[in-house]
Amino acid sequence: MNTYDIIIVGAGPGGSMAAKTAADLGLKTIFFERGRKPGEKNSSGCGLGPRMWKDFPSMMKELTPEKCPSMRAGSAARNYFINQEGIVAGYVMARPTESVSYEPAKSWITMNCYRSEFDPWIAEFAIDSGAELKTSTLITDLLKKDGKVCGVIDEHNNKYQAPIVIGADGAVSMVAKQSGLRTKWAQDQITIVPQYDFQASPEKIDDIMGDETLAVWWSAIFPASYQVFFHDGFHQGLGNWLNKWDKNPLYYLNRVISLKYYQRLLRILNAKPRELQSHLLPWLKYPYNTHTDGIILVGDAGGFPCPLEAEGIYPAMVTGKAAAQVAAEAITSEDCSKSFLSKYDKVWKNTSIGEEFEAGEELYNLWKALPFSPQETMSWFVPMFMEVMGGIYDWSQPHAKRVRQIASQIKFYMPKALPFIIKYVFPLVAKIFEEDLDKMMDPQKLMSVIPKVMDLIPKKKKPRRDDT
Amino acid sequence: MKTNGLTKHILGTVDFIFIDQNKCNRCGQCILVCVANLWRKIENVISISEDYKESCLECAACYQVCEADAIEFHYPSGGTGVIYEKG
Repeated sequence: MNTYDIIIVGAGPGGSMAAKTAADLGLKTIFFERGRKPGEKNSSGCGLGPRMWKDFPSMMKELTPEKCPSMRAGSAARNYFINQEGIVAGYVMARPTESVSYEPAKSWITMNCYRSEFDPWIAEFAIDSGAELKTSTLITDLLKKDGKVCGVIDEHNNKYQAPIVIGADGAVSMVAKQSGLRTKWAQDQITIVPQYDFQASPEKIDDIMGDETLAVWWSAIFPASYQVFFHDGFHQGLGNWLNKWDKNPLYYLNRVISLKYYQRLLRILNAKPRELQSHLLPWLKYPYNTHTDGIILVGDAGGFPCPLEAEGIYPAMVTGKAAAQVAAEAITSEDCSKSFLSKYDKVWKNTSIGEEFEAGEELYNLWKALPFSPQETMSWFVPMFMEVMGGIYDWSQPHAKRVRQIASQIKFYMPKALPFIIKYVFPLVAKIFEEDLDKMMDPQKLMSVIPKVMDLIPKKKKPRRDDT
Repeated sequence: MKTNGLTKHILGTVDFIFIDQNKCNRCGQCILVCVANLWRKIENVISISEDYKESCLECAACYQVCEADAIEFHYPSGGTGVIYEKG
C-alpha cells in the first residue's frame, strides 16, 4: 500500500496548485494525471486572467516565452457584431480602460498560451515543492474503509491511501461521483464547448491583428464565439448549456467559420485548421456540494468557473490552494469530517472567487439571456446596438433627420429591449450596488415613462422662423 | 498514434463508453450533441460507432446529456486516447 497525507486526482491548474500548496505545508503529497503529461487532455480558450499575476506573483513572473513558447498577450479585444444575415454589422475594439488599477491588467486583458505548455509548467512548481506526480494513471474509484474514504484506486487496482482526497478531475469528476457529491450536472449547469485550433504564422498575426489578439463574435445566428490568438495560431470556439442546442454544436461553430468575413480573415492570415477539440465546462449560478467526509472538490470539478463568462483556470488555482490549506488543517486536527471541511466554503467565499459569485445568479442569467440566446435576444440586440454605433455615419439624409430616423428605429426595438433590461440588467445593477433602487426597478413606472420620453423626440422638424 | 483529420489518438484503451439498450429511450440527444459525430440511430436503436476509441474527443457530452442514464462513460486508459497538442 502506498500511503500519503493527501491525494489529488488531476494535474490541471487546480490539482497542481493544490499539490504545490500541500507539499509546501509539509504534507506527503501525490497527484495523478491520466495523460502522459499534464495538459495533454485539456483544451480551453485559453486566456489567463491578470488576477493570476496579482494573487500568485512569484509564480506568474516565471511564465516566459522560453517556458511557454505559445504565449501571446491579448492586449486589446475586438467585439464583432453579426446580424441575422450573417454579416459583420460592425465591430468595437477595446483595450484596458482608465479605471483598470494594476499591472499587468493595464497592459493586457488576457495572457494566452496553450494548455499543453501551461499545465506542465504549473505542475513543475508542485514537483519542485516535493509533490509526487504520477502520469498515464487513470484513477477509477475511491478507496473506502467502513464506508469512509481512505484513498483511491487506479484502473490496474493499485491502491493509494490518504485520509483526504482532493477532486481536481474536471467537469466529469470521478471523485464527485464516487463520493456521492454529484452523479451528473443538471443540463443548465454544464456547457459543451467545441473549438478549432488554426495554425497561422506569428508574423501574419502581428501584421494583421496587431495587439488585438482576443475577440468575441456576438451574433444573431450562433451563440457568442470566442477567438484567442497564440504565438503561432488561434482558437475559435463557442459553447452553450447542454439543453440549449437544437442542432449539433459543431454546426454552429462551422457557421462562424463560414462567415464571409471570417473566410477573408482566414485567407489574409493564411490560417489552416490544425486541431478539433471539445470539452464540457461547468457554468453555475453558485457552487454547492463542494466537500464531504474526506473529500474536497476544486476547479471545474467543484463548479467554480466564473458565472459570467466561465473563466476556469484562475478559479481552479484559487480553490486548489484553499482546499490544500484546509486539508492541511484537517490532517493536523485529525478530523477530515464533512463538518471540519466545511471550512473550505468559508475560505473560498472569502477570496475574489467568492466575491465573483456574490452576483453569480444575476451574471449567469444575463449571459444566458444575451450572448447565448442568438435567436431570442441577439437578433434585436445587434441591429439596435449598431443603429446607435453606426447609424450616424450616414449621408443619406441631413444629419438631424438621420438622428430622428435612428431614434425612431431604437423606439421600434424598445418593446423587446425594455423588458430585457428590467429582467436581466436591473437585478444585476441592484445586486452590485446594493442600494435602494426600488424606484428605478419598478417596471410599471419604467414602461410608462420611457415611451413618453421617446415621444418627446419630435417626428417632424419645427418650421424655421424664416419659413413663416 | 493515429492521426485522423484534425484529431490525434493514442490507441490501446479498453472500452470506455457503453449504452444500456434497456434504459435508452431513443431521444437522440447523444446524437445531437456529439461533436465527433459518433452516435447513430438505426432501426430505432441507438449505438456508438465501432471505432469510437479512435475518434472520441472524451468530452463526455453523451453521458451528461442522457437523462435516461443509459450511457456509461469513464475516461480511456491512462496514457491513451485523444491528444490535444494545441488545446
